[in-house]
Amino acid sequence: MLSSAAVVVHDLRKVYQSSGRPPLCAVDGISFEIEKGECFGLLGPNGAGKSTSMNCITGFYAPTSGDVRLLGVDVHAQPRKARERLGTCSQEDTLDSDFTVLDQMIRYGTYFGLKVSVIRPRAQALLARFGLADRSDDLVEFLSGGMRRRLQVARALICDPEILILDEPTTGMDPEVRRILWDIIGECRARGLAILLSTHYMEEAQRLCDRVAILHRGRILDCAPPQQLISRHIGEEIVEEEIRPGVTWKRPPNLEDVYLKLTGTHLDVGESE
Amino acid sequence: MTAAGAIRCVWLRYFAVFHKSLKYAIVTTFFEPLLYLFAFGFGLGPMIGTVDVLGTRLTYRQFIFAGIVAQTLMFQGFFEAAFGSFIRMYYQRVFQAIAVTQITLSEVLWAELIWDTSKATFAASAVLLIGVVTGDFSPAGALATLPIAFLSGLLFAALGLLVAAKSKTIEEINYPQYLLIFPMFLFCGVFFPLGNLPVYLQWIAWVLPLTAVVSVIRTLTLGTPLEPGVFVVIPIWLLVLTPWSRRAMSRRLVK
Repeated sequence: MLSSAAVVVHDLRKVYQSSGRPPLCAVDGISFEIEKGECFGLLGPNGAGKSTSMNCITGFYAPTSGDVRLLGVDVHAQPRKARERLGTCSQEDTLDSDFTVLDQMIRYGTYFGLKVSVIRPRAQALLARFGLADRSDDLVEFLSGGMRRRLQVARALICDPEILILDEPTTGMDPEVRRILWDIIGECRARGLAILLSTHYMEEAQRLCDRVAILHRGRILDCAPPQQLISRHIGEEIVEEEIRPGVTWKRPPNLEDVYLKLTGTHLDVGESE
Repeated sequence: MTAAGAIRCVWLRYFAVFHKSLKYAIVTTFFEPLLYLFAFGFGLGPMIGTVDVLGTRLTYRQFIFAGIVAQTLMFQGFFEAAFGSFIRMYYQRVFQAIAVTQITLSEVLWAELIWDTSKATFAASAVLLIGVVTGDFSPAGALATLPIAFLSGLLFAALGLLVAAKSKTIEEINYPQYLLIFPMFLFCGVFFPLGNLPVYLQWIAWVLPLTAVVSVIRTLTLGTPLEPGVFVVIPIWLLVLTPWSRRAMSRRLVK
């Protein structure tokens, strides 16, 4: 069955084989779809398989088995066609330190076969939207960590993508800048982009994502809209939390409770095996 | 975008970086071979006079100029690929950034090798040009050397890419630099005819790629007799190193 979703991930598995060590199954048969105009979150502890999944979805890693289709095109069979309208911001800093802020936006556009006359105004508009216009002529080494992160997200938008993959995009950003990025991600979703986002910040996932998948040890434990996950696993009752000895705090339940409950429980199970 | 278009697009990235630091690039590209040319060609040459290569009499300056063409190919190709690609892979993550656009990692690695080769060929051309200006090489001989210079540059670039792929840290690149590149520089016929060495060292020298490259470049620039070994040694190294280096770098990046 062909799905019309922008991103289709079907039974994706990735086993790392390295000599002298037992094979490590980083992603163990995950499936999900992302519609146009939908922001889909991947949540999970470090080592859960988030980045591996994303690297398989961009076509950078070859999966051990399973399919990834971007706009209906198999990313491993036809990477060039599948990635025509794919914007990627990886977890690592991959900015090209040999170029200035503006030049590397333009250079990156050429990797999508775009003409400089098309890219330049687009790059300038993006830099303005991301609050980086006045740094256009600086080399990236002179930017702060938060600015570099912003630039990398801006660069992901240079190909005018229909699919945006953001691997922990707000790491290292201060709260104010994070809000700017949240607004921009919101705008992208409103424009109909399909967005795949991984994050450590529960507030971010709850705020931005239409649906969230909780990933643990390479498997999706549950996948639903954030509010639904909360009522399903925690309930509607106010949570009482002892934040310091003798100081308790009452608050509505949130995604963090779900995350801790699901991944924590499974950790205990794993240890007793 | 075609595969060739993709490779060209990445090659242009390298060229843009080279062009931005053109002054520095020209100094590093030309200065080093010029040092050798002057020290050995003009300085040492008159003391030695002539050298006999398989029956052909050459001035020592001609002899060393042809050797320096080969040495330039090796140094430029190897160092740009080994240190350059390590930096691009490990510190800048240029490969990782480009390989999620419309361009694939395979194309990025071709562009890397072709760029390193271009830079080596460019530097070797400068030495050839100097040799033509000083009257040591004929213009036709210098031109005829260019294709083999490109293939030899590719050979050393692939060796550099392989070393970068296999090195855990940038310091580890020093091992092959001192244990392989410098011995080749000294013992593969750049400075003296191989016949001066004990026979077993000659055999070792002929297994290493630089000896064949030096030999064929002397044939093309100065008309020394063609040694059949070059038709075996250069293709084997090229056919082994090119796919091996690409696969090794690919495996380093794509787990």
